[in-house]
Amino acid sequence: MQIYKLIVFTMLKNFQLVVRNWCRNFYTSHTNLASEKSALAVLRKKTGYTFANCKKALEMHNNNLEKAEEWLKQQAQALGWSKAIKLEGRQTTQGLIGVSVDNDKGVLVEINCETDFVARNAEFQNMVKGATQTCLNYLKSGPSSTHLITKIGLNSEQLKSLKCDDGKTLADKLVLMIGSVGENATLKRAIGIKVNNGIHLAGYAHPSGTSENNILLGRIGGIVAIRNLNEENPQLDEIATGLCQHVVGMAPKSIDKVDENLTSSQEDETSLVHQEYLLDDTMTVKELLDSNQIEVVDFQRLECGEVINTLGEQTLDYVENQKMISY
Amino acid sequence: MSSLVITRILAPVTRRALRHILIQNSKAGIQNYAKTLHIVTTNQKRFYAEKKIFERNKPHCNVGTIGHVDHGKTTLTAAITKVLADQKLAKARGYADIDNAPEEKARGITINVAHIEYQTENRHYGHTDCPGHADYIKNMITGTAQMDGAILVVAATDGVMPQTREHLLLARQIGVKDIVIFINKVDTADKEMIELVEMEIRELLTEMGFDGDNVPIITGSALCALEGKEPEIGRDAILKLLAAVDEHIPTPVRDLDKPFLLPVEHTYSIPGRGTVVTGRLERGILKKGHECEFVGYNKVLKSTVTGVEMFHQILEEAHAGDQLGALVRGVKRDDIKRGMIMAKPGTVKSYDHLESQVYVLNKEEGGRSKPFTSYVQLQMFCRTWDCPVQVIVPDKEMVMPGEDSKLILKMIRPMVLEQGQRFTLRDGTVTLGTGVVTKVLPSLTEEERIALTEGKKAREKKAKAAQ
Repeated sequence: MQIYKLIVFTMLKNFQLVVRNWCRNFYTSHTNLASEKSALAVLRKKTGYTFANCKKALEMHNNNLEKAEEWLKQQAQALGWSKAIKLEGRQTTQGLIGVSVDNDKGVLVEINCETDFVARNAEFQNMVKGATQTCLNYLKSGPSSTHLITKIGLNSEQLKSLKCDDGKTLADKLVLMIGSVGENATLKRAIGIKVNNGIHLAGYAHPSGTSENNILLGRIGGIVAIRNLNEENPQLDEIATGLCQHVVGMAPKSIDKVDENLTSSQEDETSLVHQEYLLDDTMTVKELLDSNQIEVVDFQRLECGEVINTLGEQTLDYVENQKMISY
Repeated sequence: MSSLVITRILAPVTRRALRHILIQNSKAGIQNYAKTLHIVTTNQKRFYAEKKIFERNKPHCNVGTIGHVDHGKTTLTAAITKVLADQKLAKARGYADIDNAPEEKARGITINVAHIEYQTENRHYGHTDCPGHADYIKNMITGTAQMDGAILVVAATDGVMPQTREHLLLARQIGVKDIVIFINKVDTADKEMIELVEMEIRELLTEMGFDGDNVPIITGSALCALEGKEPEIGRDAILKLLAAVDEHIPTPVRDLDKPFLLPVEHTYSIPGRGTVVTGRLERGILKKGHECEFVGYNKVLKSTVTGVEMFHQILEEAHAGDQLGALVRGVKRDDIKRGMIMAKPGTVKSYDHLESQVYVLNKEEGGRSKPFTSYVQLQMFCRTWDCPVQVIVPDKEMVMPGEDSKLILKMIRPMVLEQGQRFTLRDGTVTLGTGVVTKVLPSLTEEERIALTEGKKAREKKAKAAQ
């Protein structure tokens, strides 16, 4: 419903712009120059491509708007690629994590860009949403397994070759976006989780912004897999989301491994069940789990740009290893 | 004991002996000694000569550049310093000096920011450039260089980018109302393109709530100015831009010119004279005979200043920044408490409900390691007062260390506050974050104030009852 509203709104807006430009045309049409000017304006408004490119398109097609637009659309991919190649190598430390959970399948996708301005932009956010949906679809299309939990790690190259609904690869979509925002961007990594036998998945992204089609976007994302031992648990969803928020916020390293090196300080606790519960510091996670008869089977947390801060190769290897174990 | 003997008795003896030898026996020794002395003094002189003395003869103003990474913000900044350096008004800075916005620590917070200074005929400028949104926010919160205005840089070849919207949103968020536009790279664009870019910017500015029709737009090429080519779009354009900045961005009011305000640090009762309050005059000028008002802790007391003293001496006129004592008429010592504000009557008010932008320190910066959620109770420190506050996180579910966030603060008692006021939030012994008041909100009702002290259980019960 909202999408329809949006389409109608954009149509109206475009129409308004065309009319406005047409009116301007009307007043100044006695000079040839003025009409050319508005052709450039119309083309820019309609397509959003840079002025330099719009101008080139018009020059090549004798100011024929339709032909120029067609050419631009054809060229967009190539222009995006050339821009992407030009910007390649510039560091991308900002970005977003896309989180999506659909019953027994969940994905975490990280896409990076150069500045947090772009990460806040709708165009980039749509890109992350699209990529998350694509990864979820890929996970659904894969062979079903009888394992309790299957984790699949995708690296940058694998992500690039994934195909969206419209047949384009994610790499193609990414360069279109690069062409539009003029900043380098990278498909960093993705992790997919499949579960069986009544294991529940819950996802959370921080800061919790807009969610659309069950896709959450944030700087940090997490998924937890829990086993419910109590058949009737009315608060299950609520607790699962709370646990996931805890994982995102407290960044535990393991479920219940006790780290011998640590002192007894609560602050430094890295195992999930021994940490104080984020949403209620009067109890530990273990107490919460016990009182609700829930067991945490696994969790996964991604923080945007975290690989940059640690050793670059490690995380992907780690993910790859997990993949090997699960199959 | 033995060392005492050496230092107390032997050392003076040896020193005297040494001097004796120097004077009596060796002429060369004296010369050498003099030579070393000479070298030492010249070295010292050179050390002082290296630092220039700042001349405060022009009003100061802080501006910043915002815009897309490739549109030439840094080139423009370098060009400004170069053009002004030719007039001896700035030190020319190369692109590389500015580009790598260094990590700076201001109030314990790490910010990526480049600060450059230059001056025009009329004003002295501090120029800020940051790589990201979060850095501008941190810059605003620490207040090291509060931006009074901004220069938005747009390349004529690209026009407005999708994220230009985010740049303007940021400007609004950090309280910048006055913007000057520089359309860059006109050497590679033609006239109609420039006109269209200008039209587009005006449209977007109006849409984002700025005065799009009257914003000054300057076209030029920062690169030409930097390389000294084509003066009409190079150097002249930069000068035109600076003239527009001079004219369009208002000079901030100096603290000295504002109505006086003194946060009370201590109060004393001096027999035979009356009550004396001490503190540092934050702004304005304070003289004997001024009417004043004490505000805070639900009280407003009117009085008159009957004497101002500094270092036990009578001060004719205290200026902002002076640490002073003020004798006030007709109020008892017990009526005034530390944390109250003495100000010109009617210029300050107490509030207990406010909206703020806060940077939450991460663990390395001395903050806590855990995120916090709404309803957390913290202690707010501001000027000389502190007060327990309840925190509401409006836009998200929790705030992580190292993040900036909008927070709604509800105080258990009204205290003097105003927009732009900086404060610190503490949790026990840990400094949790530092922030700035962005908006004062309507005062809490009695019911809301009682609700502040309620526990989680009572809150949940209430929420259930409301459903």
